[in-house]
Amino acid sequence: MFKLSKMFVLLVVLALAAAACAPQPTPTEAPTAVPATQVPTAMPPTAAPAATATQSPAASIDCKGAKAGDTLSVLYQWTGSEEQNFNTIVKPLVDACGIKINAQSTRDAAVLDTMVKSTPPDVLFWPDLSPIKLYSDKLVALDADGANAGNYASDWINLGTSNGKLYALPAKSDMKTLIWYSPAQFQALGYTVPTTFADLQTLADKMASDGNVPWAMGLESGAATGWTGADFVEDILLATQGTDYVNGIISGKVPYNDPGVMSAYQIFQKWSSDPKYTVGGSTGTVSTNFGDAILQVFSNPPKAMMVDKATFAAGNITKQYPNLKLGTDYNAFAFPGAQGVQVSADFMYAFSNSPAAQALLAYWTSDLGGQNFAATNWGLSANKGAAGNYTDPMMTTLGNIFANAKGYAFSTGDALGNPYATAQWKAVVNVAQGQDIKTNLDTVAAAQTQSLQGK
Amino acid sequence: MNPLDRINKALGKVPVHFAVILMCLLWIIPTLGLFVTSFRSRQAVQTTGWWTVFLPQPKAVGQPEYTQYCSSCHGANGKAIASADLSNPNVVNQYQSAASLLLMLRKPVNGQPHLLHPTLSSTPKEAITTLTPVLTYLQTLSGQKQASSEFTLDNYVDAIVGYKGTADYLPDCQNKVPSTLAVMNCNTSDILNSSGMGIAFINTLIVVIPATILPIVLAALAAYAFAWLDFKGRQWLFALLIGLQIVPLQMALVPIAQLYARLGMQSTFLGIWLFHTGFGLPYAIYLMRNFIGSLPREIFESAYLDGASHWAAFRRLALPLAMPAIASLGIYQFLWVWNDFLVAKVFLTTHPVLTVQIQNLIDPLGQNWNILTGAAFLSFIVPMIVFFAFQGYFVRGLLAGSVKG
Amino acid sequence: MVPKIMKQGRLAPWLYLLPSLILMTIFIVYPTFATVRLSLLDAHSLRSAATTCAAGQPCWGILENYRYALTNPEMLAALRNNALWILLMVPGTIIGALFFALLADRVPYENLAKSIIFMPMAISFVGASVVWRFVYDYQSSGSQIGILNGILTALGGQPVAWLSAPIINNFCLMLVGVWLWAGFCMTILSAAIKGVPAEILEAARVDGANEFQVFGNILLPSIMPTVVVVATTMTIIILKVFDVVYVMTGGYFDTEVIANRMFELIVTNAGQSTAIAVVLIVLTIPIMIFNVQRFRREEAAR
Repeated sequence: MFKLSKMFVLLVVLALAAAACAPQPTPTEAPTAVPATQVPTAMPPTAAPAATATQSPAASIDCKGAKAGDTLSVLYQWTGSEEQNFNTIVKPLVDACGIKINAQSTRDAAVLDTMVKSTPPDVLFWPDLSPIKLYSDKLVALDADGANAGNYASDWINLGTSNGKLYALPAKSDMKTLIWYSPAQFQALGYTVPTTFADLQTLADKMASDGNVPWAMGLESGAATGWTGADFVEDILLATQGTDYVNGIISGKVPYNDPGVMSAYQIFQKWSSDPKYTVGGSTGTVSTNFGDAILQVFSNPPKAMMVDKATFAAGNITKQYPNLKLGTDYNAFAFPGAQGVQVSADFMYAFSNSPAAQALLAYWTSDLGGQNFAATNWGLSANKGAAGNYTDPMMTTLGNIFANAKGYAFSTGDALGNPYATAQWKAVVNVAQGQDIKTNLDTVAAAQTQSLQGK
Repeated sequence: MNPLDRINKALGKVPVHFAVILMCLLWIIPTLGLFVTSFRSRQAVQTTGWWTVFLPQPKAVGQPEYTQYCSSCHGANGKAIASADLSNPNVVNQYQSAASLLLMLRKPVNGQPHLLHPTLSSTPKEAITTLTPVLTYLQTLSGQKQASSEFTLDNYVDAIVGYKGTADYLPDCQNKVPSTLAVMNCNTSDILNSSGMGIAFINTLIVVIPATILPIVLAALAAYAFAWLDFKGRQWLFALLIGLQIVPLQMALVPIAQLYARLGMQSTFLGIWLFHTGFGLPYAIYLMRNFIGSLPREIFESAYLDGASHWAAFRRLALPLAMPAIASLGIYQFLWVWNDFLVAKVFLTTHPVLTVQIQNLIDPLGQNWNILTGAAFLSFIVPMIVFFAFQGYFVRGLLAGSVKG
Repeated sequence: MVPKIMKQGRLAPWLYLLPSLILMTIFIVYPTFATVRLSLLDAHSLRSAATTCAAGQPCWGILENYRYALTNPEMLAALRNNALWILLMVPGTIIGALFFALLADRVPYENLAKSIIFMPMAISFVGASVVWRFVYDYQSSGSQIGILNGILTALGGQPVAWLSAPIINNFCLMLVGVWLWAGFCMTILSAAIKGVPAEILEAARVDGANEFQVFGNILLPSIMPTVVVVATTMTIIILKVFDVVYVMTGGYFDTEVIANRMFELIVTNAGQSTAIAVVLIVLTIPIMIFNVQRFRREEAAR
């Protein structure tokens, strides 16, 4: 077996050498090369995810003058199957231009900081907007660096723009504003999916009076404890106030101790601290891990009826309960009455304007890049080219909700960064424990001002 | 001593034995819990405590409820009605919750209500409560429940190859699940897969061995000078050395990373060796000086009188005599570097070591945390072996460093 | 008085010292100076810290970051918790370790018992966090997967949220600390106990002293220097305690400690983070002076 793999490595090396000699390979010749970031491995014959991506004509890939053998350093948080999805998406680009991607993976802001201050990566993918604030002197504007900003909705452009320069575009997005539930439970117990926020409140009250706990909530998440609650509050705000209001928090127009935010927290406090409304009351909410909370809705017997969680929840559900069927045993509905969706994203940043960096930015933001992204069903893409190209039924549904949303509001914590984000998470935990809302929101509002000053 | 005294003495020791054993138990239980957990499936870990594997398993949860509602038609083994064979996993699999079971039971069979006698409560909540144990029993009957109580090596296999796919590596390889297996070969070459513990193990060894030897050698030299050579500012320098032990390591990260970038040394093994050496030195010198300084002065005096140079005295006398301290320091430094996370994370980004790789295995949404149990144990093995093998030295050396001999 | 044999050559000592001194200068001394400098600058190390003062608020000028480090409520909570850790954990670990060392000395399976107590030292903090997850886990209802709550509910009690219930959680974290460090203290103390000549102890027993008197009047005074060394080492370790808090609670639920604050601020506010680091170093100065004096006394005795 080892002998075989050695031969394969040799073949790959030969193939790479051949690719390097031919600067403009035709698409039919290239696919033997493996993504440069991986240790060369033999692909089993059944492994076909790359097939959909490589079918697209390489002719539409603009190499921006990058030559075969040019290297591109990339930093992201992805590992394992996520990293593999990334490689699948960029494979056509790597094949067409012959560039070599040196990827590194970290989730640690301290590591990113050390790297940026010593050897910044050419392209960075990072799940919040803090780099704009922290490294604006080192970042390169994306639209001047090959990116096609026209493929993104204006909410996204505004989010990534600072001092008139576009520094960040969403590379991979995740949609929050979803509520996961068991259709079988709803049907058996006679509940229907609510369509307005008032309906949702009525439904929660009805469940509570029936003795069924409506919400599974889990705020625990190590050093980021509270973020799931902050998302929930933002979903409530999207329903009660709307997208502009939430984006106003990010721009500073709406202070976090505004009466609108206060009333959202009042609803949240009731739902998150009363044992009739949440599993285990206050203690249960703050002590339960957010991943465990998702499972509470699908255990036998279920501990709760609904959980407010982003698209990723599907993964938690199917890993723990592989036999559950989408549509009958688990499903999601959009947060009732929300005007626009709450989103999070891994953003793309550039520290270099080298041809290879430009080629990656141009490819990722092109229609083709969007299509190839969607074909992996890895997540949602804000790139207009992605719409309608998902192949998985769940992702197709979510993709439609996402593409047709009335507006996009980023999670305020991710957008404003620290000290605001931590202050907000801590306030959420305090409020869930029954503390005074006004006092806590005043603290967050002060942190909001600080975060905005730094921007 | 007469026999009665002996018995008295032995009895007098009972509380001592009791206290020692109790404390050892308290100390080992947390680790034991992880050890047991690492052999359990993620479904089982999430639903029952690890200690339940030592308790007698409650037999057939839900059997009375099943007998009450179902066995009159379906039979005790569930096979009585061939078209609805309840021992067939495919049949039972359609019902993943008591609620879906209830929905099915509400549908009439051949124009008759499904449940003739006894009937379920008309309140859905109560009916679901009744059906919950029935579902559990059906899952036992169809053989699905066993899977979750069984022991498994999946956590270890997944950790070694760094697998984060749909289910587990071995079953997925068997079923040829394509989308997540493209980076895997499903053969022995996966042992050294770049996201697994195998390759991290090798990286860790490459880091640890020089990062253990280098500070010891340098510290032995410096300690000899502090102990047996006179120079200006000796006391002052040693005082400073004690102070250096206190500097928190986190503060050195950014300045050193910037320095490495200028020298082109980022993410090199040399860089991490030197960093660990630099930070290991103050304690190493402190410990070694105390030991070498406590060696009998006469030995050195007679050596000098015989015309030995300092270098000879260092090599022929100080080094061999300081062997216990060197061994214990070696183990201390070894454990420290082996368990280090932060330094490796910052200075060795392209060659993940074990602690870093463990972090890579858990995705931020915690969907793969079960791999952690196996991975954590894999990372314990070598330090444990080293510790048990060199335990004797370690104790002696620590003593030397802390207590004036 | 310097022993005569040490006076040989002027250059020789430096040849032995130079490699170590160079490395320590680069890796420890230089970053320390950089840290002090950064602590006087703003969040992004661009301007003086004085520029971050807000109008109408108290301001310490160039030492503004130190105002945060010494007066901010979060920092005060962290300082308080660190003090609590030191006050409870240092004596707790030492008394426990001493007790165990004394008992283990009397059983035939001493080495095995000591190895078990020492074992946690060989476990990385990433591993330790997984280990303790299955001790402190809390489920509000249904079956428990953490053993503490498993025992509690089996005895008919209510499950406790060990890591988020105020006050209890600090003790729970300290327990992890004791678990990690008791072995270290125990091996040193045990070796010291073995160093006390058995004849002295026997003589006391023959004179009619009971075990407690033997311990209090003879054993304890003889091992006191070692106890002091262990206490100072533990104090330094606990001042820098970070891992346990970071992985178990992230500083939430009133469990914040100084080193965790420092780590949290490293990226977002270099000024405040480095100011905390300097405070941490300053806090250890008394221990440093104490250690230096001990070194001097030892030198004088040679």
